[in-house]
Amino acid sequence: MIRSEEASLVYEDHGRMIFACREIDITVQQNEFLGILGPSGSGKSSLLYLLSGLKVPTSGSIWFGDKQLNRLNDAERSGLRLDHFGFVFQQPYLLGYLTALENVLVAFRDRSLEPRARELLEDLGLSSKTHRLPHELSGGERQRVCVARALLGRPMVIFADEPTASLDHKNGEAVVDLLNRHRGSGSLVMVTHDESMLKNADRVVRIVDGQIVNSADGPSFSRTDPAG
Amino acid sequence: MLAVMLVGGIIALINSIPLSIRTIYEYSRESLGVSPRGISDNTPKIVEGILKKTPYEIERKVMCRVSSTQVQSIVGKWPFIVIGMKPDDMDYYLARQYVGKIEGRRPAPGKPEVLITEPVARNLNLKIGSVVQGPEMNDSYSPFPVKVVGIGESKRWVMVSSIEYLRENHFPPIDLAMLFTKDRSQQEKFDRWATEAMKGKRAQLYAFFQIEKQSQEMFKTLYRILDIVIAMLVIVITFMMGMLINIYQSQRIVEFGLLQALGYTKRELLMRVFREVAAVVFLGWAFGILGAIALLKGIEASVMAPRAFFLNSLDPIAFQYTVPIPFAIMLVALFSVSLKFRKFDPVSIVERRLV
Repeated sequence: MIRSEEASLVYEDHGRMIFACREIDITVQQNEFLGILGPSGSGKSSLLYLLSGLKVPTSGSIWFGDKQLNRLNDAERSGLRLDHFGFVFQQPYLLGYLTALENVLVAFRDRSLEPRARELLEDLGLSSKTHRLPHELSGGERQRVCVARALLGRPMVIFADEPTASLDHKNGEAVVDLLNRHRGSGSLVMVTHDESMLKNADRVVRIVDGQIVNSADGPSFSRTDPAG
Repeated sequence: MLAVMLVGGIIALINSIPLSIRTIYEYSRESLGVSPRGISDNTPKIVEGILKKTPYEIERKVMCRVSSTQVQSIVGKWPFIVIGMKPDDMDYYLARQYVGKIEGRRPAPGKPEVLITEPVARNLNLKIGSVVQGPEMNDSYSPFPVKVVGIGESKRWVMVSSIEYLRENHFPPIDLAMLFTKDRSQQEKFDRWATEAMKGKRAQLYAFFQIEKQSQEMFKTLYRILDIVIAMLVIVITFMMGMLINIYQSQRIVEFGLLQALGYTKRELLMRVFREVAAVVFLGWAFGILGAIALLKGIEASVMAPRAFFLNSLDPIAFQYTVPIPFAIMLVALFSVSLKFRKFDPVSIVERRLV
């Protein structure tokens, strides 16, 4: 569904070239839960941003079906993200002046999605808090609202960048479980440095210094084929 | 809002000066004043010449004398005239000036008495029995104390007296004439015709259109200066407001980063900012206009009206001056925000590098 072909992401820092990702080949299959594991600064988030079109590779290419993301303009990539991708970020970013329900609907102009937004909030245990503002919710509740927002458009791929980082272990596990259970036939690409969060992953890739060092089927991580 | 109130208020107050000139001297709209140049008793001859040639129908010729006095304006004292005329001419003149009910009476022939209209009474705080001219009043001299004997209801500013009293006691010893067209709507055309016809002749004509023209010329420079001041004010206000809006929008950078990451295009974000700024700026403008009207009405009622000063609290020109303000603020705000969006990277937000 999504594949990268020798994709590299290079930053220039005071004249020095820094490889956030180095010639990465990886494929995200349909309905797959792919975990990307690695220590801090290893380039796992950069890989997620490349795969989701939030970043354009310096070299190589990223494909979504037959569309090459790095050939699309800003508006086309934005449209793709809106229509086919869902995002959960490390911090539970919500707009402070919108209620939980409005935050779930924030990216969509189609008000007919409101029943589904309510349904999702109910499924995620937030039915009594749909009209609460973000500051009236706990950290775990805010992240669950973000999960509902990511799931609303029935995305083909959900990208989750350390979604459990700001939560305690129990809440973190609950959020991952919710993402996994509600993704339907969509794929889930989750970046984390906490291996225990990937126990339900179909496949896990490890990344170190911007390179995939091994790949394995979850939860035993026995496979080593990086191409997937 | 405050900027609109400030600009609208300043313009309306400045505009009150020419408005005052037009209103105070509006009595001259009703007639053409004729006086001689060089030959003091030449007025009847000049009038005869005008009447012979004019294509307009003249209803009445009134011979009169004038003496000077002063009225108050928001920019100090302005000259005003007491017109002396015969009783039957006075009746005609007062009717022509829309004077309705008169409290008191008309001035008696030969007596130091004056009839004034209500705006003059309010302006100079005069009542029946008050002295308007006198031997010790340098700006409103008359050898005898001239008392108010009647106050007429009219919007026009009028002071009339006995022609006999003025002939006996006031200088120069020159009779003037006032010519009234039968049809009021023809008066200005007649005034213009007569002014053109008497060009180069030994006659001085006084017409309302000349007062309007003179006041326009008088205030031309003032208005140019005002334009520059207002332009500078608008630039400063625009820059300040544009920057404030930019700061406000910068504080929402997380929101924009998140929305772009979720799928908003930069163009959509800019449109979102545009809609918000437009709503804020135009609501501010509308409230500013309402605020300015309320403020000017307050000034009009408490400061201007008691002295019969003029202020148009609904002055359209004042509000025209405020129209560029919201557009200029929007342009500056959107320009600075769009510059920010050009190099905007949502990843830097969701990775918390910019938060």
